[in-house]
Amino acid sequence: MRPIIEREIVIFLKIRGSLQFINSIDWKLKMENYIEEIPSYLEKIRSVKEMILANIVMIGQVPSPTFHEARRVEVFQERMFEAQVDECTIDEFRNPIGVIRGTSDKKPPIFVVAHLDTYIDKDIDHNYTIRKDMIHGPGIMDNSAGAAILVSLPEILRKLELQFESDIVIAGLIYSIGKGNLQGIRQLLGAWKTPIRGAICVEGGELGRLNYYSDGTRRCEVECKISADDGAEYRFKPNAILILNEVINRILTLRLPQRPRARVIIGKIFGGFKHGIIALEGTLGFEIQSNSDDMVKTIFRDITDIVDGLSHEYQVDMKLKTISSVNASTLSFSHPLVKSTVAIMKKLDLKPKAEPSGSELSIFLSRKIPAVTLGVSRGHNYHLINAQMEIEPMYKGIAQIIGVMKAIDSGVCDE
Amino acid sequence: MNNTWLEKNTFHFSDFKDLRNLVEVKEKKNLTISLCLPTLNEEKTIAKEIIIMKSELMTRYPLLDEIVVVDSGSTDKTEEIAREYGADVYRASDVLPEMQNFQGKGENLWKALYITKGNIIVYLDADIKNIHHRFVYALVGPLLLSDRIKYAKAFYDRPIAIGTNIIRATGGGRVTELVIRPLFSLYFPELTQILQPLSGEYAGYREIFERIPFPIGYGIETSMILDIYEKWGLDVIAQVDLEKRVHRNQDTKALGRMSFVILKTFLNRIEKLGLIEKKKEMYNEMIQYKLEKNSYKTDIRQVVEQERPPMIDILEYRNKFLPERKASK
Repeated sequence: MRPIIEREIVIFLKIRGSLQFINSIDWKLKMENYIEEIPSYLEKIRSVKEMILANIVMIGQVPSPTFHEARRVEVFQERMFEAQVDECTIDEFRNPIGVIRGTSDKKPPIFVVAHLDTYIDKDIDHNYTIRKDMIHGPGIMDNSAGAAILVSLPEILRKLELQFESDIVIAGLIYSIGKGNLQGIRQLLGAWKTPIRGAICVEGGELGRLNYYSDGTRRCEVECKISADDGAEYRFKPNAILILNEVINRILTLRLPQRPRARVIIGKIFGGFKHGIIALEGTLGFEIQSNSDDMVKTIFRDITDIVDGLSHEYQVDMKLKTISSVNASTLSFSHPLVKSTVAIMKKLDLKPKAEPSGSELSIFLSRKIPAVTLGVSRGHNYHLINAQMEIEPMYKGIAQIIGVMKAIDSGVCDE
Repeated sequence: MNNTWLEKNTFHFSDFKDLRNLVEVKEKKNLTISLCLPTLNEEKTIAKEIIIMKSELMTRYPLLDEIVVVDSGSTDKTEEIAREYGADVYRASDVLPEMQNFQGKGENLWKALYITKGNIIVYLDADIKNIHHRFVYALVGPLLLSDRIKYAKAFYDRPIAIGTNIIRATGGGRVTELVIRPLFSLYFPELTQILQPLSGEYAGYREIFERIPFPIGYGIETSMILDIYEKWGLDVIAQVDLEKRVHRNQDTKALGRMSFVILKTFLNRIEKLGLIEKKKEMYNEMIQYKLEKNSYKTDIRQVVEQERPPMIDILEYRNKFLPERKASK
């Protein structure tokens, strides 16, 4: 006969196993019910087309480069207020948040988030043009459309007559991309002390994306500066651009493993003054990506050695700075949230495309909150000033987001 | 000159932000409101103007009863896009077709009086890049909330879109500062309190618009202010700060032609009022010069400013609207 405590533990585990099993059956049953309804959402979503497009224009036309999102935060909050969410606030970090109250006070909330910052400078003309099938405007795909869909959700949910057990927390996030280093979501989740049931990160594009894992990344800049003090040697000084070129060449000689997957993306370079003058300053931007945090660290150390070595060799001032970093995190493909999302997308004739994402998703996953990133529509010239978004696919994009909200509400993240 | 009008009749759009209240007042007063967008090749901006007004001021708050586009014969997709997004679209030449056909913004505004149904009509230029529903509710606000005000006009900062992508923060309003304001200062100093007399966004009661003549071109804004001022006084006019309006930049020559028409309209009006006497008729040609292959060539444009009579004088209009008014009384 086993000791009493051991028996109790076994009974407890059996009960817990049974409850998980029951819960699993429960969400599967619920899902079977609502997944059939999802295609019928499309017409009702289409019927509020003007409201959705109006939100895209009103949000998209407000310039919002990282660290300068204040005006867009105001508009986001104003639109949320107009949409009559149950609560509308701005957190301590200035992320605007709206809450749609659920029917149960026991279920943790579902988060739906989108970053409010864009890559477009504030001096660029942000005026949008709507044609019959397309919207044109800088920043629309990353991420003005995503933010606009969030503020349209309360109205769309009312139109669909959908209610959720969980509260729906709709959050626009500031200080997200580039040097923002996902500060908005870090601060929001850092301050949120109670459990979160699951989350959806909304991006303008591309419809069909399904991100449920994120690579470890480290975004870095190498700054090379050469003193301009000594005028006599001016024309024979080392050249910052050539030295950065040497840095690139040495990075390219690094042996990167296929497992764990790893790569270094050389993304940006600029420097120099004019054609006939030796460049005394230059900056190189790159990102290390891997599904192993250790591998990211190893590569970063290697590149540090390269930079230090070349700095010494050429006797120039060269510094390696980390701009942002994110740890690798993942949901397994067999996680019910991923499986349900795939089923929802397929129901809408969307072909899920899985890729790692370095966005807000990684912060949710690193905190063990099940989350996926979804795209709203298809588009072109994502990061250029002539970015475009197709209007018609957007309805499926919105339907899938609502479908995944339903999935989370039915319990797919509760196991 | 005292500035009492400026202090009393100048508003900010945020004074009228309570849209629910505006809708209640409108319903209480049993009024209908029409929005008219005059167009000529505005395919880049027309959709968003319609969408935002429809979403915010028809669906969300039922302040507007109709959106009407009156087009001068666009050769781009303006009409198709406007229809696609739910506006009632009319070709100006198809309205009152038995009358001689003219082309111009004023012509479209005048014909809109015949097409629209509202007691209040809001006119908005269709090329506003940073369109927002405040452009309508802020103009309608003073008309609904005050029994004295019958006509409201917009003013704003005017950043100019340079090329396709860059915004210059200041500028614009050159014709106002160089032409209209000096003329008002000379003849009607009290009208200088209207900060942007040439703004293309205004709203008013039908009873006002139907009783004044409409020049068919650029002279419409100038003549409208002078006529309303002369018939009803400055007190029925209000101006509303809409803060910022981004519009297309026009080159100096185009502004020169605009100034030509405005000057002519103004001089004709003050002659009618007996303030001046012209010894000879003015010419109808604006003469400008351009440099071509190292020699100056004249660039002469015929600018004949036609004028439509007050709409109330048109029989078809009276047949359409006066019986309704009698019945409602």
